[in-house]
Amino acid sequence: MTTEPNTAPKMTARGVNVFYGDKQAIDDVSIDVYRDHVTAFIGPSGCGKSTFLRTLNRMNDTVAGARVTGDIRLDGEDIYAPEMDVVQLRARVGMVFQKPNPFPKSIFDNVAYGPKIHGLATSKSELEGIVESALTRAGLWGEVKDRLQDSGTALSGGQQQRLCIARAIAVDPETVLMDEPCSALDPIATAKIEELIHELRGRYAIVIVTHNMQQAARVSQRTAFFHLGKIVEYGATTDIFTNPREERTKDYITGRYG
Amino acid sequence: MNNAPASPPVGAAASVESRWASPEMRARIRRRYGAERRFKAVGLIAVLMSVGFLAFLLGTMAWSGLSGFSQTRVALPVDFRGSGLSIDASSMTKAEAMAALNQQGLGDLLQLSATSAYGAQGESYFGTAAKESAAAAIYDDPSMLQRQVELALPATSPIDVAAKGEGDAASEAAVARLEAAGKLSSGLDTTFLSSADATDPTVAGIWGALKGSLLTMLVTLALAFPVGVLAAVYLEEYAPKNRLTDIIEVSINNLAAVPSIIFGLLALALFINAFGLCQGSPLVGGLTLALMTMPVIVIAGRNAIKAVPPSIRDAALGVGASRVQVVFHHVLPLALPGILTGTIIGMARALGETAPLLLVGMRAFVGGTPDGLCSSATVLPMQIFLWSDEVDRGFVENTSTAIIVLLIVLLSMNAAAIILRNRFEKRW
Ligand SMILES: Nc1ncnc2c1ncn2[C@@H]1O[C@H](COP(=O)(O)OP(=O)(O)OP(=O)(O)O)[C@@H](O)[C@H]1O
Ligand SMILES: [Mg+2]
Repeated sequence: MTTEPNTAPKMTARGVNVFYGDKQAIDDVSIDVYRDHVTAFIGPSGCGKSTFLRTLNRMNDTVAGARVTGDIRLDGEDIYAPEMDVVQLRARVGMVFQKPNPFPKSIFDNVAYGPKIHGLATSKSELEGIVESALTRAGLWGEVKDRLQDSGTALSGGQQQRLCIARAIAVDPETVLMDEPCSALDPIATAKIEELIHELRGRYAIVIVTHNMQQAARVSQRTAFFHLGKIVEYGATTDIFTNPREERTKDYITGRYG
Repeated sequence: MNNAPASPPVGAAASVESRWASPEMRARIRRRYGAERRFKAVGLIAVLMSVGFLAFLLGTMAWSGLSGFSQTRVALPVDFRGSGLSIDASSMTKAEAMAALNQQGLGDLLQLSATSAYGAQGESYFGTAAKESAAAAIYDDPSMLQRQVELALPATSPIDVAAKGEGDAASEAAVARLEAAGKLSSGLDTTFLSSADATDPTVAGIWGALKGSLLTMLVTLALAFPVGVLAAVYLEEYAPKNRLTDIIEVSINNLAAVPSIIFGLLALALFINAFGLCQGSPLVGGLTLALMTMPVIVIAGRNAIKAVPPSIRDAALGVGASRVQVVFHHVLPLALPGILTGTIIGMARALGETAPLLLVGMRAFVGGTPDGLCSSATVLPMQIFLWSDEVDRGFVENTSTAIIVLLIVLLSMNAAAIILRNRFEKRW
């Protein structure tokens, strides 16, 4: 496991501030996200992890009163530039939400929706191929291959979350953002998703928000500790967990943080 | 924690237990159950009352109106030989044939036959409806012009009403005689279901008003539904949240509560005086009712759109759907059941509306069936209003029957809405 990345960063953020109305939720955050690394965001509840994650694919645009300043780049391209196409950006930077949110459509349509609207398949069989491969990579194919026409909302919570992951990777994004993808799952489903993250690493840049320290240690190569809207410490996961530079980081990961 | 309640200390387990078993606690629980029982009883009474009213309404309507669907017929022997009547059924349309027969004195022949069969009174048994019915029968079978036949012809209004048990003494007596002679029969009143308003209640029918209502509703739906839904989508999904949209929201809510007659005045000024559209037509009536229905659809639509969970929007945006795609692929299908419910409520109100239509010229007597959006027409509630003003007993029955037709249209509209809603309803 490499601790220092040797490629150019996939995404870079410099001096990012986010405001909800007058309230500042993110204060001067700078970070680099690498393609062959899983980056974990940890930190106490309400410190701005989700908020910052949502700035990376401009999902904050939909929140009334949210304002983002600073510079965020995807492969060197300013994603907040006026000429940036948000629709395409969100296809390139996919997102898995904290609460599983499948469409109330069939399992097949859930996964096929993205490829369909982006015209990724020219024929029905090609579309079926994309759906199968996405479901296989999400570790769900075996469980659903005989019931693709059933409603996605009829699956269990863990299956729904893997369906959402399949939906996100079906459009072949370059980066996948995951906001506490395992918070509603049992240990077995969690293990499956962690396994999936291992498999997806290298193919996509992955950012994962988690409240589970063990999970952060298991799946990520780099970890950022957020506190009160700032990044307190960012570095190789092994360093953060074994040898934190900051007292606050150490308190948080050892559970002494109030 | 400084001012903890003075009542029982929470220290020992025993005292906690006794607190839940204390008489005050039991009394409180009893009171709570009592309140629940009372609430249930009041609710049940309210439901029973509304069901009772509905049953009473439907019952009286059925009682006095169902007989309007049937028609009393009196048998009349007619000898066509030597009458000089002749038609060429193969080259004439039905209307032409009927006009020709009228001209050749079919009416006089019938009256003559009536007097010879039933005496001087016989003349009053048959009217316009009988003449039309006889002409239609001849058109269907011209060979009867060479024979003597017995036709069962619709009776005039006094006889019809008397046969149904509500006539005056003279007609009652006539009916009793005819009954004894076995000359009375009754059948489905096809005239009522197929013709328009007329001055004679046995000839007057509901089809003109029904078709007028259907055309008017069509115009209303075609305008109010798309405009209402698009306005709701725009206000919910696109409009910036500011002063202006607040004002628009308040205005729309108020518009939904504006008395309908005011929409009639607006429509009169706008559609007829300013645009010069055809007065008293389904087009203008439909436009007027669309003005009235639109705010209802906008409000229902906005509420239905608001109720779509934001997580579905996030999900769609997250895979790179544009806002239009989010709306049309996800939000609208999920909001559709709610939108349909609102639409049906609005349309039902429009269907029963008379006041605004009075002002755009739909209250005139219309003796024909409207054959287009611009021909003059009347609507069901207006027809009911016009008929209820008439003195002839025959119209009283027609009024009740028209109400039944109106209710049937209403119920089928509601049923359609429920079917559509169940079809589109999805769980998330
Ligand atoms: N839509 C919003 N409007 C106003 N304030 C918001 C909004 N969303 C988040 N905030 C505020 O921004 C701050 C950061 O919230 P955020 O959801 O990013 O926290 P988080 O780190 O993801 O917390 P958690 O671990 O509980 O998910 C919080 O103080 C929150 O109250
Ligand atoms: Mg969060």
